[in-house]
Amino acid sequence: MHATTRTHARPGLLPALALGIGLALSSTCAAAAGPQASTPQVRAELVASVSAVEPGEQIRLGVQQKIIPHWHTYWVNPGDSGLATTIAWTLPEGATAGDIQWPSPGRFAMGPITNYGYENEVTLLSALNIPANARPGALFPVKATVNWLVCQETCIPQQVELELSLPVVAAGSPRQPGSPLVAQAAARLPVASPWQAELTRTASGLDLGLSGAGLGALKAADVWFYPDQWGRIAHGAAQPVKIEGDRLNLSLTPGDDPLPAGQALGGVLVVSSPDSVKGYVIQAGAATAAASAGTAPAVPVDEPTLGAALLFALFGGLILNLMPCVFPVLSIKALSLLKHVHQSPARTRLQGLAYTAGVLASFLALAGVLIALKAGGSEVGWGFQFQSPVFVLGVAYLMFVVGLSLSGAFTVGASAAGLGAALADKPGYTGSFFTGVLATVVATPCTAPFMGAALGFALGQPAPVLVAVFLSLGLGLALPYLLLSFWPALQRLLPRPGPWMERLKQALAFPMYGAAVWLVWVLAQQAGPNAIAIALGGMLAIAFAAWLYETSHGTAPLARHGSRGLAAAALSLALAGGYFGVASSAADATPASTAGKAWEPYSKARFEALRADGKPVFVNFTAAWCITCLANERVALSDAAVLAAFRDAGITYLKGDWTNQDAQISAHLADFGRSGVPLYLFYPGGTQIEARVLPQLLTPATVIDALAAPAPSLALALTPAPSKLAKE
Amino acid sequence: MQPTHALRRTLLGLAAASLPLFAGTAHAVAEIGQPAPAFTAQGADGKPVSLAGFKGKTVVLEWTNHECPFVVKHYESGNIPQLQKEFTAKGAVWLQVISSAPDKQGHVDGPSALKINGFRNAAPSGIVLDPDGKIGKAYGAQTTPHLFIVDPAGQLVYKGGIDSIPSASKADIAKADNYVKLAFADLAAGRKLAHASTKPYGCSIKYAD
Repeated sequence: MHATTRTHARPGLLPALALGIGLALSSTCAAAAGPQASTPQVRAELVASVSAVEPGEQIRLGVQQKIIPHWHTYWVNPGDSGLATTIAWTLPEGATAGDIQWPSPGRFAMGPITNYGYENEVTLLSALNIPANARPGALFPVKATVNWLVCQETCIPQQVELELSLPVVAAGSPRQPGSPLVAQAAARLPVASPWQAELTRTASGLDLGLSGAGLGALKAADVWFYPDQWGRIAHGAAQPVKIEGDRLNLSLTPGDDPLPAGQALGGVLVVSSPDSVKGYVIQAGAATAAASAGTAPAVPVDEPTLGAALLFALFGGLILNLMPCVFPVLSIKALSLLKHVHQSPARTRLQGLAYTAGVLASFLALAGVLIALKAGGSEVGWGFQFQSPVFVLGVAYLMFVVGLSLSGAFTVGASAAGLGAALADKPGYTGSFFTGVLATVVATPCTAPFMGAALGFALGQPAPVLVAVFLSLGLGLALPYLLLSFWPALQRLLPRPGPWMERLKQALAFPMYGAAVWLVWVLAQQAGPNAIAIALGGMLAIAFAAWLYETSHGTAPLARHGSRGLAAAALSLALAGGYFGVASSAADATPASTAGKAWEPYSKARFEALRADGKPVFVNFTAAWCITCLANERVALSDAAVLAAFRDAGITYLKGDWTNQDAQISAHLADFGRSGVPLYLFYPGGTQIEARVLPQLLTPATVIDALAAPAPSLALALTPAPSKLAKE
Repeated sequence: MQPTHALRRTLLGLAAASLPLFAGTAHAVAEIGQPAPAFTAQGADGKPVSLAGFKGKTVVLEWTNHECPFVVKHYESGNIPQLQKEFTAKGAVWLQVISSAPDKQGHVDGPSALKINGFRNAAPSGIVLDPDGKIGKAYGAQTTPHLFIVDPAGQLVYKGGIDSIPSASKADIAKADNYVKLAFADLAAGRKLAHASTKPYGCSIKYAD
């Protein structure tokens, strides 16, 4: 028996074994230092986006792998076998490198095994932050220890060390361009998907649905979805594709580590055509409950297309006109038309255009600020400006001043036409322009329900789209007055002028005072009780200044100058005291105690712990400066029946307060395509993954219905597509 | 009586062995909590090995390929041999499965397989030769190493990697959570496995084309 064993042994076995082990050992040896290193299968090179670095800047580094034919290295999710390439950086003190930015992968099947990775050539990019204290004239050394597995049919783990030294130059110094490989690799990175993605659990697995312009032009054979985590889907399983109109559906088979309840499926949709490969980053959350539950009214929670977003924005802008803070401004502007009936229609039209220009310019400025903040990497959302206590105080003062002016406490001479305070009296185009600016400023806290989705969409888009949506919003706000000024027939519908106009003007001061009161309350939430004293003290000083100014009319020049000087001093005191007082007390503000309340403060950790336990959770994302949010909380979420329903169903009610900036909440909002509040979510608990998104305007009944709605049935998902469509 | 019994068993065995064929090569045929796909195959010692024969014992299936650097990592370090010794001593059955197709990396005949195990101090209960890849595909085995654990009732209770750090570096073994050890600890305590399905890592199995 033993003899047989020996004779049957393959002659080449021992050398083969030795070779195998030898390869494994030799493969982990480090190459000599330098930007390049080679193994028999891979030539690696470390490159940079610049030829020299400036202190404090961010550059990109790239590790290029040139791979011999038929061999491949791996993507972040390597698929059934394999190993993602890793890069460990050794950097000068203070420098930091980001995660690998992975170009769109390809796939390789060997029998039943499917891998995701790269063949021929790939450059893996990483961001590198140069510390601000890097000294011009010195060298900036970068070392990358790169580990990869390279496979054809057999696999070899390899490691190389690559080193690169870049000269440090002063900011603004002329530089040679860096390696073109970086830009080439950047062009291969997947881009944000322009489509709306939705995930539905079906009897046989998962259905990834995409909708949006351009999908209809794709060919089924060119599309493949790569999950960014191992096992979320069976890596090699067929992905039947259905394309109809501007919808694309992929049927995915769950893999060995299926998607846990409540999580979104992330990955890259790769569209290959003979001359290009393009990747789109997909983050597909559960289908919205509204459609399947059948009880909740339809809400524009889905990412709209550009056309729809523009329409929503226009409509939202129109609705802004009815908001309590905007309405007085607009009405008075309209009334001023009556006062100037004698003026020519052409002049009236110019007034309307000037007002529109003021609104549009303000929205353009807002869009510009948002774009700049986004470029700076901030998590911003609509209403972000109200997260600054100083801004809130400023708007409170402004409301108060406008109120005082409407009450007739003071009148502004023609020389100081600033900020639209001369609302009704000043026929000048500058006045109209600044009325537009004023309308925008006072409108921003009143996010109309229709604007949420449009702005959420806009914030995730390239700058031109964002600007277009904002301009559309502005046009909506300006439209009523614009129409009025262009359409004499409409003007004739307005009541005849008379002494009632003065009364109305005075009456309209009260909504402005009301808005100021509300903003002071917001300020108290943000910056604590001291801020109330500061704000009210500031208003006192402003009122005093207004009175001094008004009484100085018609007095002797000396007294006039004295009073006006004193008024200016009081005003400065209000502004400076407000600024420094609020800015310093903002830091001291502590969150109010939640003891005895029906809700708990939201935190990501608490939320995830509850979800992990399968507990039902209701999440309310709100902010003190959001009127819709506050109204919903008063009307619906404080309702005894709603709270009883929460209690009876064992639902934990989490309240996420976005009054001040909060990255965790911003991230959660972003998961649902939102960039602002309110957002109401109900997670039914158990194994159900879907969060039900409630409408932005709540009633007790809506909430209770949403809680009680049967589990989103699979009926919708299971409905087979008409076979004629399947054949197309 | 006796012959009828034997015949029935053979028929049942055949039916069971052919099940994986009907199941095709789809993924995840071997499901956690379901009966492990039955098989009868040639052992390296020339005798047939049948999963059904180990009913009442915990069975570990380890897909291996002696030329794969990831397998080399776990044998040269002594990690897998030590696990084999520890759990076979406790009464478990440890079977190596070789699914490399003829002329592909890792393919060996029975005597060579035994010899290689001698070189690398391996101590499994047996070696299953699966050159046509039927068993590997029935289990959805993808990598070497790839581990499956079948409980005494014949249910699949674990599938996945040997440990939690996918790398070819021996230095990582000590830092990693060893899923096989964890699985046996859970089984011994009568607990549900904390990690029943994990990511396997290693070389792809060199199945026939």
